[in-house]
Amino acid sequence: MIKLQNVEKVYRTSSIETLALNNINLDVKKGEFVSIMGPSGCGKSTLLNIIGLLDAPSKGIIEIDGRKVERFNDKEIAPLRNKMLGFIFQSFHLINDLSVIDNVEIPLLYRSNNAKQRRELAEEALEKVGLANRMKHFPKQLSGGQKQRVAIARAIVGKPEIILADEPTGNLDSAMGNEIINILQSLNENGATIVMVTHDDAMAKRTHRLIRLFDGTQVL
Amino acid sequence: MLSNYIKIAWKVLLRHPFYTFITLFGISLTLTVLMVLTSFLDHLFGAHYPENNRDRSLYIATMMLTDSAETSMSTGPASFRFLSRYAKSLKTPENVTIISNFSFSNTYINGKKIKLNTKYTDAAFWHVMGFEFLEGKPYNEQHTKSGEHVVVITDDLRNQYFEKKGQTVIGQNIEIEGIDYKVIGIVKGSPATRLYTYSDVYFPYTAPKSNYENKGMQGSYIAIALAKDQTDIPAIQSEFDSGIKSIPMSEIRGERKFNILIIKAEEYFDHFLNTFARRDQDKLMLYSMTALVILMFIGLPAINLVNVNVSRILERASEIGVRKAFGAPSKALLWQFIIENIFITCIGGVLALGLSYLIIYLINSSGWIPYADLTINFAVFLISVGVCLMFGFLSGVLPAFRMSRLKIVDALKG
Amino acid sequence: MIRHLIKLIWNKRGTHALLIIEIWASFMVLFGVLSMIVYNFTNYLEPIGFQYEQVWNLDLKNNQDTIDVGDKLKRALQRVRSYSEVASASRMSSNAPFSASQMNNSVDYNKINVLADQYYTDEAMRATLDLSVESGRWFDESDKVSKYVSIIINKKMKEGLFTGDNPLGKVIKVDDKLSYKVVGIIDKFKSHGEFSADEPGMFRMIGKDDNWNSNMMIKTKPGTDANFEARLVKDMATMLPGWGIEVSYLKDSRNNRHKITLVPVMIFLIVSGFLLTNVALGLFGILNLNIAKRRGEIGLRRAMGATEADVTTQFLGEVWVLAIFSIVLGLLFAMQFPLLGVFDVPVNTYAIAVLAAILIIFLIVTLCAWYPSRQASRIHPAVALHEE
Repeated sequence: MIKLQNVEKVYRTSSIETLALNNINLDVKKGEFVSIMGPSGCGKSTLLNIIGLLDAPSKGIIEIDGRKVERFNDKEIAPLRNKMLGFIFQSFHLINDLSVIDNVEIPLLYRSNNAKQRRELAEEALEKVGLANRMKHFPKQLSGGQKQRVAIARAIVGKPEIILADEPTGNLDSAMGNEIINILQSLNENGATIVMVTHDDAMAKRTHRLIRLFDGTQVL
Repeated sequence: MLSNYIKIAWKVLLRHPFYTFITLFGISLTLTVLMVLTSFLDHLFGAHYPENNRDRSLYIATMMLTDSAETSMSTGPASFRFLSRYAKSLKTPENVTIISNFSFSNTYINGKKIKLNTKYTDAAFWHVMGFEFLEGKPYNEQHTKSGEHVVVITDDLRNQYFEKKGQTVIGQNIEIEGIDYKVIGIVKGSPATRLYTYSDVYFPYTAPKSNYENKGMQGSYIAIALAKDQTDIPAIQSEFDSGIKSIPMSEIRGERKFNILIIKAEEYFDHFLNTFARRDQDKLMLYSMTALVILMFIGLPAINLVNVNVSRILERASEIGVRKAFGAPSKALLWQFIIENIFITCIGGVLALGLSYLIIYLINSSGWIPYADLTINFAVFLISVGVCLMFGFLSGVLPAFRMSRLKIVDALKG
Repeated sequence: MIRHLIKLIWNKRGTHALLIIEIWASFMVLFGVLSMIVYNFTNYLEPIGFQYEQVWNLDLKNNQDTIDVGDKLKRALQRVRSYSEVASASRMSSNAPFSASQMNNSVDYNKINVLADQYYTDEAMRATLDLSVESGRWFDESDKVSKYVSIIINKKMKEGLFTGDNPLGKVIKVDDKLSYKVVGIIDKFKSHGEFSADEPGMFRMIGKDDNWNSNMMIKTKPGTDANFEARLVKDMATMLPGWGIEVSYLKDSRNNRHKITLVPVMIFLIVSGFLLTNVALGLFGILNLNIAKRRGEIGLRRAMGATEADVTTQFLGEVWVLAIFSIVLGLLFAMQFPLLGVFDVPVNTYAIAVLAAILIIFLIVTLCAWYPSRQASRIHPAVALHEE
């Protein structure tokens, strides 16, 4: 599903060159639940960004669903992100000025669904995360766990094959965190491929496979 | 403490040159427009050369004859005869002058045409008005009584008509419509916007073609009564009104079927307003339209300023958060923002002052209004500074109020 | 997407209120200034209907001389016509072209009432001002002795008073002593100058012994100068002792009329130009700051599959929605002007002004939003998403 070969990422400023990722090789199979761990600044977020096509590698090959995408331009990448990938972030990134259901609908705005279809799909996604009764609420009226469930609904509303989660439990207490992992696990059981960045061993243990990074290099 | 606030304000302004520019542009242009406008209004309505005594003068300039149903009416200046009977005879004023409304003529010299504004006045005109005589003297009652062909002309006409420079022209003749007049005085001209004093040539009212002999009430003359003191104005008005009331109906009726005569001694501004809107509803309309226009022209830049300030302060929310976190009280922060605003408004005010001087200088020297004498006087400047501070307050308080409500955590998060 | 944008703006209406008021106020200012310009400009496009280049206005005033005034005026006209420099000369009432004076009366025909300017003149006026007679004829000697007072009307009056009928030969009764008969129709006669509206107007033959209408329109031959003018004035002064004699050129009076119209237009134009520049700069600044504040959202949308163009469109769209809100609000106010008939201005003028104001508002907001929106689309999603 996701294949990385000899991926390297270098950040350049006028004076300093930083090697963020060094020779990463990765192969995530369809239906796998993989977690990435490592200390702060080891490059795990950069790796997730590259898998999520939010950032381009300096070197190397990326294949998503069998397509080589590292030379894709903006117009080719955007639909790929929209249809193949769903994102979940540590800080939720909900738009405070939109209601829950409007937030969930966002990925569908960038496809050719009509308003009715959007509404139906969004309601379906919210039901899956158990928030069908909070559709008209605004993010500020929700708890952290509820916010993250909204974010998950948003990530799955477009029925992507891959879900990328960047420390989804980082801002939550352990009970809420567990709940989130439960949801992710059930999504995985229904066929979604999931890559999750975390620094919590307990969470990582519940995934199929663990990748460890240290200073930009894959150590496990 | 204050100098510290100002120092911070200065640094903040330099840190965001683009927003400083927007704010300064808005403030200085709005103030410039306001200042030029007030200066122009002051030019129109204030007491300036040669109507230096305007603030204690009453203008008797429009006579309206109508019937009770207002089906027909006749409005215009009064006759010389009428004014000498009811205005000249007033006891309370220090002096009363009768002047013809504006009229035009031409004079020709060496194949060149000079267009003339002409005016017929009595001798009292020169006492009521503050004309500056560059050469010669005004005509006096002796001249008017004997009907001598003498005139007072402006320096501008002198320069156009008498081409020899540097020589006195007093005693020389000027030919107007086939009649020779002896020039006895040269005055500094008056701006065209002062309708009742502006002219190129001033004739004694007994000169030919003045029509001062006309019978009837309506004619082509106006009167200006000069009060000894501003406080005498109501007394003069009531004396004039009672004189008008005593006019018998037979005289008002005249040839046409009028039964109402309205003529008032008014201060200049009231008089001016009445020529545009006589009825109360017209006045209301005029006031509300003017208010609307002014509201738009002041309100728009004000909203703009507030908008920019609100956005900027939210942008600086994290700075506020840090300061609050380090224990700065809300009040100190409020002061910082208000002073910042007043400070920038004052810089804008100074720029506006310079710009206004430039524009007024350009207007004065463009010849757009002959003899224009627009000035930024003290009153205008004070109004502008007041407006300036109001702007600072308006665009400082609202954003500062919103800012002071920001919670530390929200502010830090930005 | 539009629904999404409206929701986004509506949910933030508190923050956007001031911005909406600002655009609304700009719209109102534009509407006012443009109405004035459109009104004057549409009038300007209509031809004035007569020639004024070589024409002088000789204004005679009898003053205290009341003996045989009519006769003296007749002789003065003969004298004027006798100069070799004069191509044509006519008598006219004091409401000469471009003068400030106006004389109008209401005229009734078949229960229709029209307020028309009345000009008194004679048989030579057609040549003096090069008036174009559409149908019928201009005055001739026979009109001086005809039973009814002959009048010539302009097209505007024909349209107003005789809806569809042919007015030629129609008799309009004014009162028991006076009836008009229409003998001719001329095209246009905008005597108040190019910037005034084409108002209904009628010409009426000056009576045989008229001693009241003492203006003369004199069409001079090309090359005539002030020397002739001086001679004319001098001759008139000897002929008519004690009379007021003033010569003005229609050319100059026209320029004066233009000044009276154009100076306020210029002042409003300059002031509103500064105001709008001010608003545009402010709007630019505000949008810049707003977009900087919403970097996270931009990153998120990009992650959800928005292209760079989508982001640009979104921010432009938001500003357009704001502008539409403001314009709808402004239209509610602007509509009152034609509805209440505040000014005597045709509805078309307001309509054009509204359209132009909408266009300019969209132009300004688009210009102001373009750069910040492009900036927003260039924000790197990976960076924006990890800033917090």
